[in-house]
Amino acid sequence: MRPLDPRLLRYASAARWFLLVGAALGLAQTLVVVAFAWLLSQAISLAVDGHGPAELAPTVGALAVVVVVRAALVWLLEVAASRGAASVKSQLRSRVLERLAERGPDWLAGTQSAGVATLVGQGLDALDNYFARYLPQLLLAGIATPILVLVMLWQDLPSGITVIVVLPFIPLFMVLIGQATQAVQRAQWDALQRLGVGFLDLVGGLATLKIFGREARQAERVRTITEDYRGRTMKVLRVSFLSGFVLELGASLSVALVAVSIGLRLVDGSLQLGVGLFVLLLAPEAFLPVRQVGAQFHAAADGLAVAEDVFAILDDESASPARPAETVALIPASTGPTDAVAPVLDALRFDRVRVRRAGRDGPVGPVASEFTAVFRAGRLAVIRGASGAGKSTLVAALQGFVPFDGEISLGDAGVMPGTPRPWLAWAGQRPGLLAGTIADNVSLGEASVDPALVHRALREAGAGELDPASRLGVNGDGLSGGQAQRVAVARAIYRARLHGCRVLVLDEPSSALDPEAEKRLVTGLRRLATDGLIVIVVSHRPLLRDAADQVVELNGPARV
Amino acid sequence: MSESIAHAPAGTPAATLPGTPAGTPQAQTRHAGDTTGAILRLAQPQARWFLPGLAAGVASMLSAVALLATSAWLITRAAEQPPILYLSMAVVGVRAFALGRSAFRYLDRLSSHDAAFRQLSLLRVGVFSRIVPLAPAGLADTGKGELLTRLVRDVDALQDLPLRVVQPLATAGILAAVSIVGVWSVLPAAGLTLLVSLVVAGVLGTVGSGLIAARAERELAPMRGNLTGQVLEVVENLDVLTAFGALPGRLTALQRADDLLRQATLRRSLGVGVQGAVLSLFAGAATVVALFIGIPALAAHEAGGLAGPAFAVIVLVPMAVFEVFGMVPAALGAWREVRSSAERVATAVPAAIPVEIPVEIPVEGGTVRTRGERAPVVELSDLGASWPGATAPAVTGVSLRLGPGDRIHLAGPSGAGKTTLAQALVRFLDYTGSYTIDGVEARLLSPSEVRAVVGLCEQRPWLFDDSIRQNLLFARDTATDEELLAVLGRVGLAGWAAERGGLAARVGERGALVSGGQAQRIALARALLADFPVLVVDEPTANVDEETGDRLVRDILATAAEDGRAVLLISHTPVPDELITARVTLAG
Repeated sequence: MRPLDPRLLRYASAARWFLLVGAALGLAQTLVVVAFAWLLSQAISLAVDGHGPAELAPTVGALAVVVVVRAALVWLLEVAASRGAASVKSQLRSRVLERLAERGPDWLAGTQSAGVATLVGQGLDALDNYFARYLPQLLLAGIATPILVLVMLWQDLPSGITVIVVLPFIPLFMVLIGQATQAVQRAQWDALQRLGVGFLDLVGGLATLKIFGREARQAERVRTITEDYRGRTMKVLRVSFLSGFVLELGASLSVALVAVSIGLRLVDGSLQLGVGLFVLLLAPEAFLPVRQVGAQFHAAADGLAVAEDVFAILDDESASPARPAETVALIPASTGPTDAVAPVLDALRFDRVRVRRAGRDGPVGPVASEFTAVFRAGRLAVIRGASGAGKSTLVAALQGFVPFDGEISLGDAGVMPGTPRPWLAWAGQRPGLLAGTIADNVSLGEASVDPALVHRALREAGAGELDPASRLGVNGDGLSGGQAQRVAVARAIYRARLHGCRVLVLDEPSSALDPEAEKRLVTGLRRLATDGLIVIVVSHRPLLRDAADQVVELNGPARV
Repeated sequence: MSESIAHAPAGTPAATLPGTPAGTPQAQTRHAGDTTGAILRLAQPQARWFLPGLAAGVASMLSAVALLATSAWLITRAAEQPPILYLSMAVVGVRAFALGRSAFRYLDRLSSHDAAFRQLSLLRVGVFSRIVPLAPAGLADTGKGELLTRLVRDVDALQDLPLRVVQPLATAGILAAVSIVGVWSVLPAAGLTLLVSLVVAGVLGTVGSGLIAARAERELAPMRGNLTGQVLEVVENLDVLTAFGALPGRLTALQRADDLLRQATLRRSLGVGVQGAVLSLFAGAATVVALFIGIPALAAHEAGGLAGPAFAVIVLVPMAVFEVFGMVPAALGAWREVRSSAERVATAVPAAIPVEIPVEIPVEGGTVRTRGERAPVVELSDLGASWPGATAPAVTGVSLRLGPGDRIHLAGPSGAGKTTLAQALVRFLDYTGSYTIDGVEARLLSPSEVRAVVGLCEQRPWLFDDSIRQNLLFARDTATDEELLAVLGRVGLAGWAAERGGLAARVGERGALVSGGQAQRIALARALLADFPVLVVDEPTANVDEETGDRLVRDILATAAEDGRAVLLISHTPVPDELITARVTLAG
């Protein structure tokens, strides 16, 4: 684990700023520590030498000033860390989101989208502790420790040498113990992972266990799992706590060595009390940042893990279609509902189209085998195929989200991956509704809402009974699965009608619909076809198949 | 197909019926108020386990303070150039305290972690025992994957109570008390100074900065929530937003929310470092005041006042005490987190069982069916059921008769209460109206007795993170491998199991390596092993694509019917007439 990833500085300018400010504050803090130790040891040694309160007043007064400055510096460093973290989080967040917009939904599907959302949402908050607790200590370890050691060498050579000899042992032992811990952990890893989720597994499966009358003995199982977990974890901890032990031991032993050696040299008069005390006070301070860096290991690990995830997204250069992002700018200006558009472009052609799609573990084979078909205006076409044949992938290719070989053309114009598609309206398998009113959802992406057209789109999607003004929660919460599906279809119809799109593609639009609603949807789709659109529906439903003018079978490599 | 055989008048409130929680021990309701307290008590290890760690912790911290005190004494005394013999005790002390500090710290961490883990198993068992009677219907809000994970994580987070709250607070308190007494015995005024500065720093540094932090959090939390929600919406719907050209607008809105949050955070940042600054300030103040008090006392040395070495000790000890005291704010922060975890656990797992959930009745004998008999006749008449906390029943007025060999398709639009009915039939939920098994009213039977007769293939069958064998075996633990393989063959999974490498192959965490259709087939295999005479199958095709779903329904009905079993298939998709004997439709 690198304590500070250089990419953090590259991707977030606020991190560079924080390092600068933090280094300046760290330097100031170190000087204050030296001044405090110097003034305190002077005050004590002078008082012991018999100087009175009046003579010591300036020293004690200066000490009081140093105390105030020290507190102010502690405060400033934390303020800087908090501001740095807030700005860095903002910068990383907007970079990741820009990146997502650039790479498109198919690339996102190849990563773990739930993970990305959590990462950009709350995940980045792990950087708070990284900035507040770890980075300042790391800076201090780099700035304070060398300065303090130099001061000790200058004031009292033997003490300085003692610290120099002990210091390197700490990282050395930490590395050795870290490796030992890893070995122990590797040996236990599988068991620990399994036992770690064992309780969750039992709680989650409780309903299933009750159905089979097995709930009675499970409490005992919970106990066994947890006890086993304790035994194995303690085995790991016995080793991993050793690193903390070494840190503490190094720091306190060197203080003891310094104290005893100073004491013996004071007895024979070869050293001044003031110098002795000064060095004694500096010795633990030299170790403090190193100890803190060790103690804040978890804050560092969490923060760095999050940063690592962010960089993995930002650095990912894997093949992906060019961006389909400017769609909005290239949609022709709204001209109001267009009922019957003259069929200037009368067919959508797929000519030997093959799609290659990156899977989670790298590229998988061709999902859709060569696909050739012609879809004509004014007709309702249904695409069928076994699951895994690549129906949705084909739709993604049409949308420009995945690269493909072969040719897709609309009329006499070729359709390229990553170019805008003002002629296409689409509804996916997942409704993908957003928080807001139904009307907001139906008119997604439009600056203004046309209430009459919203109503019409809902009716044609078989959802005429829904009130466009009713408000949905996150993810369209408040609608049943079937209702959400129909609103998503209405959204595609609204776009098609408003912009006069030539092609309407619906992916499994009726999988959650009851037969009655499905009938109404089919009627709506037939009307759209009659109005001159190319209507393509991916579906297995007999009702849709029977209503279709054209049924296309897609036979891809089945992977179930 | 449904003639009403009403044993209880329809619409009678469930709570007044025998066997419902109205008559269950009052203790449950009485304890409901202090559940958070009860959960917290469950998290704190008993003294026998906890005290060794605490003792080691205190010894370690005392060693740290004593190391500085002894070193200071040694050096100042040495400056007086006494015979070296007078220093030997101090030399030994310095070395011993240096070793003691790290060795005791190691023991402390081992011992306190061990105690926390020991307690974790009691804690988990305690919470689990509370969950058992509630699951699954009483956990409806937590039943969904993510919230369930949250509950379990909250339970595990309660380990922090002994480790990061009680132990540091107790250690710091004991250490502060011992140090104050020690300094007091040298110079009472210095002891008093230490006491006052610790108290003031403690109050200002924790209460004061706590207030500042709470005020900031009140302002920031809604902004943060808003931003997180927007991020989630954009990421999850990236395809939709891109396809409809709405992405740039959304990203701009998101950037605005982000700017608002950042600006508010920057405005609030001045309050962040107050705690550390206060502690540092008062640590310094205690030292400066000790000098002020000590110097005159030292000047009066000849008159029996303070000696030089003792003076050095009382001036330097406050620094060491404050260093230890620095862990108090972190402990209080951990306390806030532990308390909210405990509150969430207490809310998710109430001590009182809601009236909508039937409680177990002690078996009086005689009514338990032995399996493998002829399927009993199940009759529902005007049956209704509600979820805990719901204002209206989720399903009402269901009447049907399910006899041996019957295969009934229960249809109805989503939201009609089909799953609710399934949960009521296996007595996860209580019911109104009548539900009889061979003429016996189900609420007079213990829920587990009912479940011995009426089985359920869940909509989302749970697969344990274990082997295929273990995932089947709990349905009938006496089954041999041959029997397991045979039943896998019956549900069409023989090839799949062989491909995986047999019964010992793992299914992955939460069945990650199993598709939706395969999970349903495993659930069916379990039901066949348990040999339920009556089987309710809840939406087997919910997570399966259409074509696979048709085959699955066919296979389920054909296989389940083989032994003259009665099957109630709940599904919103149509089922071919030849597969079923009757059809019932729930109104939306």
